[in-house]
This record gives sequence, C-alpha cells and structure tokens, in this order.
Amino acid sequence: MLTIQLALRNLMQARRRTALLATAIGLVTVLLVGMLSWAHGIEDSLVREATTLSAGHVVLAGFTKTNPKEAAPIVSDKETLKKIVQENTPGLDYVIDRRRGWGKVVSDTESLQSGLTGIDIAQEKRFFDSIQLAPESDYVEGGSADPVGDPMEIANRHTCIVYAAQAKKLGVKVGDVLTIQTETAGGQTNTIDITLVAVLKDMGLLSSFALLMNYDDLNELYALGPDTTGAIWIYLKDIDKADETLGHLRQVFLDKGYQVMDHDPKPFWMKFDTVSGEDWVGQKLDLTVWRDEVSFITWVVTAFNAVTWFLVVILVAIVAVGIMNTMWNSVRERTAEIGTMRAIGMRRRRVVMLILAEAILLGLGATTTGALVGAGLAAAIDAAQIKVPIEAVQAILLSDKLHLAVEPSTLVQAIFFLTLFTALAAIWPAVRAGRLRPITAIQHVE
Amino acid sequence: MLLFFSLLLGQALAAPTPEEMVGTLQTIDDRQTNNGDYTSLVFIEQKESGKADLVYQAVVYRRDADDKLVILFVKPQAEAGKGYLRIDDNLFFYDPTVGKWERRTERERIGGTGSNRQDFDESRLAIEYTPTFVGEEKLGNYTAQHLKLAAKAGEDVAYPVVELWVDAPTKNILKRQDFALSGKLMRTTYYPQWLKKYSESKGAEIYFPKEIRIYDEVQKGNQTTVVIQEVDLKTLDPSIFTKAWLESKSR
Repeated sequence: MLTIQLALRNLMQARRRTALLATAIGLVTVLLVGMLSWAHGIEDSLVREATTLSAGHVVLAGFTKTNPKEAAPIVSDKETLKKIVQENTPGLDYVIDRRRGWGKVVSDTESLQSGLTGIDIAQEKRFFDSIQLAPESDYVEGGSADPVGDPMEIANRHTCIVYAAQAKKLGVKVGDVLTIQTETAGGQTNTIDITLVAVLKDMGLLSSFALLMNYDDLNELYALGPDTTGAIWIYLKDIDKADETLGHLRQVFLDKGYQVMDHDPKPFWMKFDTVSGEDWVGQKLDLTVWRDEVSFITWVVTAFNAVTWFLVVILVAIVAVGIMNTMWNSVRERTAEIGTMRAIGMRRRRVVMLILAEAILLGLGATTTGALVGAGLAAAIDAAQIKVPIEAVQAILLSDKLHLAVEPSTLVQAIFFLTLFTALAAIWPAVRAGRLRPITAIQHVE
Repeated sequence: MLLFFSLLLGQALAAPTPEEMVGTLQTIDDRQTNNGDYTSLVFIEQKESGKADLVYQAVVYRRDADDKLVILFVKPQAEAGKGYLRIDDNLFFYDPTVGKWERRTERERIGGTGSNRQDFDESRLAIEYTPTFVGEEKLGNYTAQHLKLAAKAGEDVAYPVVELWVDAPTKNILKRQDFALSGKLMRTTYYPQWLKKYSESKGAEIYFPKEIRIYDEVQKGNQTTVVIQEVDLKTLDPSIFTKAWLESKSR
C-alpha cells in the first residue's frame, strides 16, 4: 500500500511528465478501442448480412444429381428434413427454408447476373424486420426522397425485390417488369417475367448480387416439385452453438441413413465443380454454418483486424520507447532520492516495485480514460449513422453506413493489454534503479 | 366457308408426314456431318447495347464420328489460348491465365457471346427433337417449310422448343427461333448463305453456313455474328482432341 501511495505521490509531483505520458497512452487506447469497435462493427454487419441474406446459423442444403455430370443445388422431401431438424436440434429458435438459384436479370436497358432467393413470407421471422426500403432517389435520378413499394407484396406471384445498387444498375423502379433467365435442373433455358415491388437499402457486398422473389416462382423457374427447396436455414437461440449443432445434426442425418457430404467450409456455389466431378447420382445433404456460406468475404474482417493490430503494435512500440525513456529520465532525476531511500532501508526489490507501480498506475489511469473516451467516440460515430459515400468501400465495410460496435470485452482487453505493455516498458528502468548503490546514488549530482 | 375448308384441305395435303419431317431433319443433320474430321476458322462478333463491340477469332476442330470438338481462341491477345474441349459427352473450358480446366454444360455460351456450343458442333436435330409442321411460308424470296421442334425427353438441349424455317427445295435452314420452357422467344438466328465442300472421307458434300446471325430477343440490341471461313476436311492428328494439346497452345 505504501508503495502505491509513494508511486501516486511521485506521479503527482511530476505532473507535466505524467500528463504527457498519460496523453500518449490514452490516445493509443482511444485508437485501439476505435479500431476494434470498427472491426466489431464490420463483423456485426457480416453476421447480420449473412444470416439475413445467405444463411441461417446452420444451413442444411445439398446437391441432387440426375446424371453423374451435373449437380443441382436442391434437396427434396423438405418437410421430412425440417421435421428431423425440429426434433433433433438443441437450442433451436426456428427453421425456415429458402429456394435459391442463379440467373440473368434483364431489364429494358441492362442485364446482370444475380443470386436468386425464393422467400415465403409466412416462414420469415426476422427478414422483414432487418430490411429497410430505399428512398427512390437512391436508384432513380430525380426520384422521390420517400421509399416506394411494399416488400410484403412478394407474397404475390410474379413479384420480386432488389437492392438499390441493382435497381440503379438495371435502370428500374418499383412497378417495372424484369425478366429472369436461367436453366432448369434439366438444363433447359427458362424465363419468368416478374414485377419489382420494392427496392431495399443496400446491405453491403452480399446485397449487390441478391434478388428476392416469390417462393413458388423460383420453383416454377427451375421446373421443380413443391417439396423441393434450396436450403433449410436453422436459427439457434445462441449463434455460438452453430458449430456444435452442425456436428450433432450431421450425426443425426447419418444415423437416419441419409448421405451427407464431408464438411467443406465454402458456400454452395463454390462446390459445383467438385460435386459435378464426383461419380454419383441421387441426393447428398450438405451441412454448413453461416460463416462457411460467406467465407469468401470473411477475409474482410480478418484483414481489418490484422491492420488494426499492426497499427496498434507500431504505436504501442513507439509509446513504449517513450515510456522507457521517460521512466529512465525519472530514475536519473530521482537518483539522489532513490539513494536516500535505499540508505534508510528500502530494499532493492521495493525500489523496483515502486517504479513499476508508477508505470502501472500511469498505464491503468491513462488506458481506462482512453478506453472510455474511445468507447464514447465510437458510440457517437455509430449513432451519427454516417453514410459511406463510395460503393467499393461500402462493399468492404459490408454496410452503407459507418457501423462501430463497442463491446465491454474490447475495453477490458485494451486496458489490460496497454497497461501490461506500459509495465513491461518500465521494467528496465526499474531494474536499473534497483541496482543503484546507495552511496553512489546519494553522491549523484545532476 | 368453302374457301376456308379448301385452304385447310390444301394445307393438309401440302403438310409433310411426320416421317417426312424427321427425314428433313436427318437430311439437315447428315449434310452438315462429316465422317472424317473438320476444321474451320471462325470469327465471332458480339454487339451489346451500351458496350464496345467484341470480335473473337477461333479455330474449330471437329471429329464427328467420336463427338469430339475443340474450339481454340486465337484472337484477341487477351483471349488467345482459351478453349473448349468436348470429349465423352463432357464439355471443358480451359483458361491459360489461371491454368485450370472447368467443366461446363453442353449449353455453354461460347466466350460469353450469344453463340452456343451447338452453333459450332455437328447438327443433331433429328436425334434431339420431334418435329411438327406449322405451315409453308414465304421468307423473302424463299419458300420455307416452317417446323416446330419439341425436345425429346432426356435430351440435353438448351432450348426445349425450336422453330425452323427450312428452304423447301434445298433443305437449308434459313431461320431458327429458340424458345425457353416458359414459351418466351430467346433468340432468332438467320443463316443467309450456305456453302458446301466435297469430303473425301464421306464421299459426299458437306454443308456449312457461311455466316450465322444471332439476335438476342430478351436483351434487344444484342447481336452475335459468326462467320465461318477456311473449312478444311483433312484428317486431324488425334492429339488435338486432348487437354494436353489445348494447354500446349498457350505455352
């Protein structure tokens, strides 16, 4: 306790030095918290986007091959599969199925390739809560600032919903007719004309190639029976249990005699070549988790985290050199004082502890303040809903707005990590101070 | 009323029997098929509204007896070395820039243009489709038999319904329309001129279109023109129909 009191007193005595060092450490903490919150925000967007557009927490899908050469990403007998999932999934929230495909979307003036998703509004529990209509001005030059259309109209046949970037590229507005062209499971060209009933705000990279259409229309387009689907999406009460649930369900389906593909952490459309090259016919199930279905964009989060830590490590290294230098100066300035303390009986270890305590107290105070300021700033930026103006950046950030997510664990990590670094930087000056001989220290004159 | 029935009767008398229509398709197929090998230089011009025109130059090698086909792109420079290989009912695409082979469907759009594999391959109309007679129509100066073809079950075709206009005296295809399963017209193809060349291996002449004009009916304004030149019917080295040969062309 006495050591801490002495350390505090020493810090208070050297106010200017303490303030400068604390500011440097605090700023690094603000930066670290800000960057980590940004990375968490991107991860948040990824989870939200992935589990809205591309996957449930766990996905039960598969391939059907009517001949050894070609594979269709469809599973039949969906009601039985859903029942097995409902009866055998611990921690299950709910189950939906979505039909899916890939096709050419043609407007009067343009065309683009897009992922096709057939949705049944009776099944969807969270989709319509997680989408926002885009103002018409987002995709029509001189359009109204108000949103137009009603996404619930997708319940009607021959309707579709697209995202603003697609609507802009296709040059369409609500009420226009689009032609979807694709190949049936048997390989024949097929088309369907559908009316655009709503345009949604972009959600990032995934939404740039996603078209939502009526559930039954997609089966008509692929000439499939009513009991076939693209994928069964399993939502859990706890998304962190996804891997565990995948393993469990895999065993359940194997035990029931289903053919199940080996787990391959890729989205279904990256598996066509492999599956088409395999010599079997019939149906094989494929279980994945949400992360697998968006594995082609998780690099964004990984890269952002890497850049964050790279920047922070460089800054921390610079600050560490500053701390070491300042501590060393402090020890030199106080050589006589240390000599006196040693002469009146303070042990070497106590001297080392005193210098370290000063560094730890300084670090703890500065990082705590920095973390709180950083968290406040991150929360304020997030609340401001700042729009990212460049589409390419939106795609990388997986959101059209700057989204920062502050997590308590991030603050604790930042405080612990930077305080530890401050303490480590003070070890060398502290050891040098402890090694000073009392007589030399007392005679020391600055 | 009498006139109507007379016309109907006339039409019925003029209509070919199913066997005759199948015979017509077989004639079309047979005249384009060579018992030996086939080589041609093709130019594919792709026009898309709002985009710059693209022109590809490719060499087509065929061995109809074994259903083998190679399409090797030679120009422009960016496309040179890319190619398709069809062996054992499998169509593969090779891209030398990534050095990988990819399996493609039989309905592949060649080079992303409006042309399909079937535009360069041997004709298989009689095998793949069942014809019905629509009527006799004037197409410019030609009198054409208008046939409607429906894909036979299990046949791997891009378009389930095809309409053909066949020049009655020469049995050359003048016009073809391809329809989607939904009934939507997808593309219209014109064959303005047919040429023929004597094949030693076949002991007869084989026919080939000098030019194929393909109009995209969904995305109006998109057009693909295929010009076929330098048709050669000499025997080809069997190594041409291998992955190794196609890979070697880009080294």
